[in-house]
Amino acid sequence: MRLLVEIGLVVLAAIGVAGCVGLAPGPRQTRGRRARALVPPRPDQLLALERLTLSARTSAVHVHAYLRPVLVEIASRRLAAHGHNIERMSETTGRKLLGGRLWDIVRPGRPFPEDRHGPGVTAEELGAMLDVLERL
Amino acid sequence: MARVSQRRNSARCWTCSSGCERAVVSASLSTRTRGLLALGGAGLVGALAGGRPELALIAMPFLIFVGVGLALAREPRLEAEMELDRMRLLEGSDAMATVRLGNHGKGALQLELAPVRSRNLTLEPVGTVGIVLRADAPAELTFRARPQRWGAHAVGPLVVLARDPLGVMTWEGRLGQRLDLRAFPREQHLRELVAPLHTQPFLGTHVARVRGEGIEFADIRPFRAGDRVRHINWRATARRGGVPQVNERHPEHSSDVVLLLDTFEEARDRAGGTLDGAVRAAAALARAHLARRDRVALVDFGGTLHWLEPAFGTTQLYRIIDALLASDIAFSYAWRNVDSIPLRVLPPGALVLAISPLLDERSLAVITDLRRRGCDLTVIEVSPLDHVSPGESAEDAVAYRLWRLQREAMRARLQSLGIGVAVWDRGGNLGPALEGVNRFRRSARPALRA
Repeated sequence: MRLLVEIGLVVLAAIGVAGCVGLAPGPRQTRGRRARALVPPRPDQLLALERLTLSARTSAVHVHAYLRPVLVEIASRRLAAHGHNIERMSETTGRKLLGGRLWDIVRPGRPFPEDRHGPGVTAEELGAMLDVLERL
Repeated sequence: MARVSQRRNSARCWTCSSGCERAVVSASLSTRTRGLLALGGAGLVGALAGGRPELALIAMPFLIFVGVGLALAREPRLEAEMELDRMRLLEGSDAMATVRLGNHGKGALQLELAPVRSRNLTLEPVGTVGIVLRADAPAELTFRARPQRWGAHAVGPLVVLARDPLGVMTWEGRLGQRLDLRAFPREQHLRELVAPLHTQPFLGTHVARVRGEGIEFADIRPFRAGDRVRHINWRATARRGGVPQVNERHPEHSSDVVLLLDTFEEARDRAGGTLDGAVRAAAALARAHLARRDRVALVDFGGTLHWLEPAFGTTQLYRIIDALLASDIAFSYAWRNVDSIPLRVLPPGALVLAISPLLDERSLAVITDLRRRGCDLTVIEVSPLDHVSPGESAEDAVAYRLWRLQREAMRARLQSLGIGVAVWDRGGNLGPALEGVNRFRRSARPALRA
């Protein structure tokens, strides 16, 4: 009889402990919204140009098809501010104003590159071209 | 699942206990109580399992303490009232939120409370505030609310955690109501505005190009039947051999101004974005033009399209500011053009001020389309360059320079169409940028009229 009472008490105590530790709901923490460490997205225009400078390294086709139109627009607007028209500019003047490398890319009537896998334009070369454009 | 339903069933009104849904409270054992129960239970188990009655003796005070605490704990009857000393303010300025708390229960309560707030609203004191609230002794707390950005903000309700004096039970719930706080954008005072090409036949402050009754002298011409005698210029008449000459004048008219707010895309950093600047510019321009008796309309042109038809006066200013507070960048792939804008929002001869970061092709297409339809158009470019820094790699740094040059070329292309472009940098003054546009418009007038 005493053994049964002791077993019953042990079971009851175990249920009590389990209820106290596991089943009783604790106070909820009133946490605010987590401060999200958001990196603001970059504008699509800039992302497109970042992809463009990367792809321009890879082949001459990328330079001709994607980089050239951007450089032509910039060069023509900056030259127009000084009274030059890139479409009617002689090669001598073009090379003098823009430098040989940039002129080779933006000159009117530039043919599609014969060697599709020819060398592209590295960031350093492009930076030098932009130096020329910024000085105009 | 059973626990969830139990909690829902135990949720009830904090004050009236009648089950209303706005203020609910959930009761639970405190962390301390759970610890004490665990200790007491462990002591009992140890005593029974090991046959050591002294362990039960040690555990007994814990259990008695919890039992007494539970017997004495009464559900709190709290009430809270929140009020703001102002509902409208300028961004960056302060409003005081006062919280009045009342305890209609029988015992004192330990309270931890914090008001719910909008993301761009800071509250002082920061975090949770702890007080002891005695029965029938109301307490008052004040919080300083400061909007960090223009827009519609909210303070409240209060998140309250209450404990009985022994800390055995906790009750958690929300008290009070949500209060709206509208922060108006901080505007610049503009001395000079873009002069419109065309005016409307309403009394205003712009000298019209047409001739009529006004103050500004225009020309001298021979007298015609119907001219008033008081308009005869007697000196000119004497010089021209007695043929009566009359003065002609330019009347003062108002104009129609349409503010076209580009909300397709923005550049943003942690301190703010181009939309913030655009809204401030739009509010300043609306106020300045309405003060000059112009009719002003607003078109929020982006992923969603909202508009306000042109109207005069202070009421229109508040309508515009309320509409600006609701403006936001709405991401959308939909291609919108000028045809999306209702015709009555773009009256003939209106001066359109497009406030844009010039980041989205759709807004550029609308701007060029409006100009090609003969609209008198000026672009106020909220420069995104201040909000974006160059990348770390060499390619990204070169791309950033290329982007800057490309934007200059884009600006030149717009100017070649006869569109004046005012570049507004962050922290700069809008007035000088508008002066530059007026200089451009004077030099490009033949092109603008074409």
